[in-house]
Amino acid sequence: MDPSATGIQEPFDLIRLSLSERVFVKLRGDRQLTGILHAYDGHMNLIMSDVEETIMIVDPESAANGHGVVNIAKRKMEMLFVRGDGVILVSPPART
Amino acid sequence: MDDSPRPPSDQSPPPPPPPAQFLKGIVGKRVIVRLTSGVDYRGSACVLGVFWMMLIDAWYRSTIEHVNGIVTNRYGDAFIRGNNVLYISAAEPM
Repeated sequence: MDPSATGIQEPFDLIRLSLSERVFVKLRGDRQLTGILHAYDGHMNLIMSDVEETIMIVDPESAANGHGVVNIAKRKMEMLFVRGDGVILVSPPART
Repeated sequence: MDDSPRPPSDQSPPPPPPPAQFLKGIVGKRVIVRLTSGVDYRGSACVLGVFWMMLIDAWYRSTIEHVNGIVTNRYGDAFIRGNNVLYISAAEPM
C-alpha cells in the first residue's frame, strides 16, 4: 500500500482503513488479540468483537531451570474494550 | 546540508531541531525499532506521528519481529504505539 495513493497522512489512518476488518493486536503482558475492529480513539482505546485472546505464560519452574516452557492460554470474547495504554502493535490483515 | 547557524530571517521558519530532523529523514527508509521490552522490529518507516517533537506512533511496512535475534513474526503493515519505543535506528544511509 502506498501512503500517497491511499491518502494516508498520519499513522492513525492505517487504523482507520482497518475498521470492520479482522486485526492483530499485540498487548503488554505477553497477550495478543485477533478480532474485528469497530472503533478506536487517539489513545488507541479499541472496541473489538469476536475476539480471541492468546496469553503466553512462561512456566516459572522451567524458567528457573533455563528451559523456559511457554504455556499458551486462549479465550474468546464477544465484545471487548481495550484500554489504549496496553497496546503495543496493531496490524491489519494483509491486503492485495 | 549546511550546519552553520544562519542569520534569523523573517521569511523562513527556523529549521527543525536534530531529533525532529532525524524523524523526517527516516521516512521511507529501513529502520530497526527496539521496544523497551527488548523486542526488535525491522521494517520501512512509512508514516510517523510526531506531536510536540515526540514520536507518538508510527506505521511500518514489511515488518519482521525479532526476539533475541530470532524471527518471531512478520507483518505486512504494523502500527506501533510510540510509548513502547526505546530507540529507532536507521538501517540504511540517510
